[in-house]
Amino acid sequence: MSAIVETRDLTRRYGATLALDHLNLQVPEGAIFGFIGPNGAGKTTTMRILTTLLLPTSGEAWVASQSVLKNPHGVRKLVGFMPDFFGVYDNMKSWEYLDFFGRAYGVAPQRRAGAIGELLDLVDLGHKRDDFVMNLSRGMKQRLSLARTMIHDPQLLILDEPASGLDPRARIELRELLKELRALGKTILISSHILTELAEMCTHIAIIERGRLLASGDVETIMRSLQPHRTLELRVLGDPSTGSGEAAARAEELLRGHAGVLNVHRDGAEQTEAVPPAAEAPPEPRTLIVDYSGDERGMADLLTVLIANGVVVSRFAERASDLEDIFMQVTQGIVQ
Amino acid sequence: MPEFNPVLVKELRSRMRGPRAFILLTVYLLILSAVTLLLYAAVGSSSNSGSDLNAGQRVGKTLFLTIATVALIEVCVITPALTSGSIAGEKERQSYDLLIASLLSPWQIVWGKLGAALAFALLLILAVVPVMSLAFLFGGVTLAEVLIALTGLVTTAVFYATVGLFWSAVMRGTLGATILSLGSIILMLLLIPFLWAISTIIFSRGPNDIMRSAAYIYGGGAFISTHPFIALGLTEAFLSSGDSAFYTIIRPGGQDFWVPSPWLVYIVLSVLISAILLFFSVRLLRPIPESRRNKRARRAAEEDRAEGVERKG
Repeated sequence: MSAIVETRDLTRRYGATLALDHLNLQVPEGAIFGFIGPNGAGKTTTMRILTTLLLPTSGEAWVASQSVLKNPHGVRKLVGFMPDFFGVYDNMKSWEYLDFFGRAYGVAPQRRAGAIGELLDLVDLGHKRDDFVMNLSRGMKQRLSLARTMIHDPQLLILDEPASGLDPRARIELRELLKELRALGKTILISSHILTELAEMCTHIAIIERGRLLASGDVETIMRSLQPHRTLELRVLGDPSTGSGEAAARAEELLRGHAGVLNVHRDGAEQTEAVPPAAEAPPEPRTLIVDYSGDERGMADLLTVLIANGVVVSRFAERASDLEDIFMQVTQGIVQ
Repeated sequence: MPEFNPVLVKELRSRMRGPRAFILLTVYLLILSAVTLLLYAAVGSSSNSGSDLNAGQRVGKTLFLTIATVALIEVCVITPALTSGSIAGEKERQSYDLLIASLLSPWQIVWGKLGAALAFALLLILAVVPVMSLAFLFGGVTLAEVLIALTGLVTTAVFYATVGLFWSAVMRGTLGATILSLGSIILMLLLIPFLWAISTIIFSRGPNDIMRSAAYIYGGGAFISTHPFIALGLTEAFLSSGDSAFYTIIRPGGQDFWVPSPWLVYIVLSVLISAILLFFSVRLLRPIPESRRNKRARRAAEEDRAEGVERKG
């Protein structure tokens, strides 16, 4: 994948404050690129430089090989920008809002009329075409704003905190819309504080703090590089006569003897024995957490060994790493 | 066929939508008509003898001067208010970035805002014409006077609209921009005659040669002609005394000075100041100029080098 956005030693100062510190970033074409960082990390500054709203103090940035410094006009043609607020106009209908920005981006009248209808349908606002923008709900305004960013059919969409202030339904709708846009071939650079949301849709992420890039790449590679082993979760059942504690101990013994198993421990919440179960009740299942450095084949072998030795396994799954864990791990020690 | 300026279309569309424009125009004409009616009643009752053959002309002249003055006052107040919210309003609505990030040039944005405000101001000035034409029923007013008055109104509208636009580009809020626009216009209207009066008092006590010099006559004349009321009032005085509409001859101490009519000087100076204000308004809409960026870049590089030396040390 070639990079649609590239920055080289991008630096921006606001007086004595260093907002961006020699940022080197690459956004692959066709990606949904999550830009993560705490408040004041430099996300918005980077986005504003890429949209030609701000000049860097030093360094250079390119969008589709067009320099933001030397050819800002060319960059603006390629970029659709959605800031973290919605610019409202009084006395303006939804279609007029899109029509105005269509004119502002030099979209031809014949193409503009069709594009407005198509975009309103895409963001599910076709029925609100003649409604005044001010009367739309926040979620609808965000969707209209997204339609605005696409009125000139840009290659790159830069979305700064698009989900902030939206209710859960509006967030889900926005997420689905962004996936649709990616399917249409758009590259999306998105910043958000809601990491779980980004984890669900981003193909790539970059973590930035105090203007410095801490990690960048596709989500899986980053997860793998920051957490080199897999974490497996097993649920083991015992029979009523012996109880699940014995079965778990047997499973632990088998697991520890298997190549690739780095560590085995019982899930914290279940370590302490509470009230002993009634004799007639089935024993409570036990959860084991296994740090495993092997591959998929090794995982299959592990399961086979357990079953062959009479361990009853009700769950055997790889625990997905959480983007929040990664974020906390990467930014650890620097966050104030 | 090229399209109209998008900002102009948007501004006109939203400005003329709803009752706001209609109410403003109605109030503007009501004030003008009420003043005209009261003046007609006053002048009519004072010249009731019936023996004065020039009474009609005097009524016509008085009506014309009053309507022109009231219209000028209204233009002085309304036009800066129309533009002072234009760019500052975009900043307040947080739509400013969207405009700057589009393919619109700063000039297109400024011209669209100014054009829309001027279109409405011209509508107000055109609405004056029927009221002003009442003066023709009584006589005493020439077509040249009416045309000069209308030209003066249009020039003032452009001049003061650019003042409002400039402050709108400088300020982040509409309130601040409006206060500064109206404040600077009121200051200009008060300061120019005040400074003129002071300078006349000072120079009249000194050697008389100064007040008779070409520098004083042309320089002082140009300065005083930046005031619309004085420039148009002096023009009316010259026209009434039989001078040309385009020039007049002044003879201080027997020496003839050919000077352009004050309304012409006012137009030239207003257009010049408006152009300067527009230039700065356009500059303010751009990101930081490249030259300043280079300075910053050099300074940042120097700081980085200094930090590097400290670390090594």
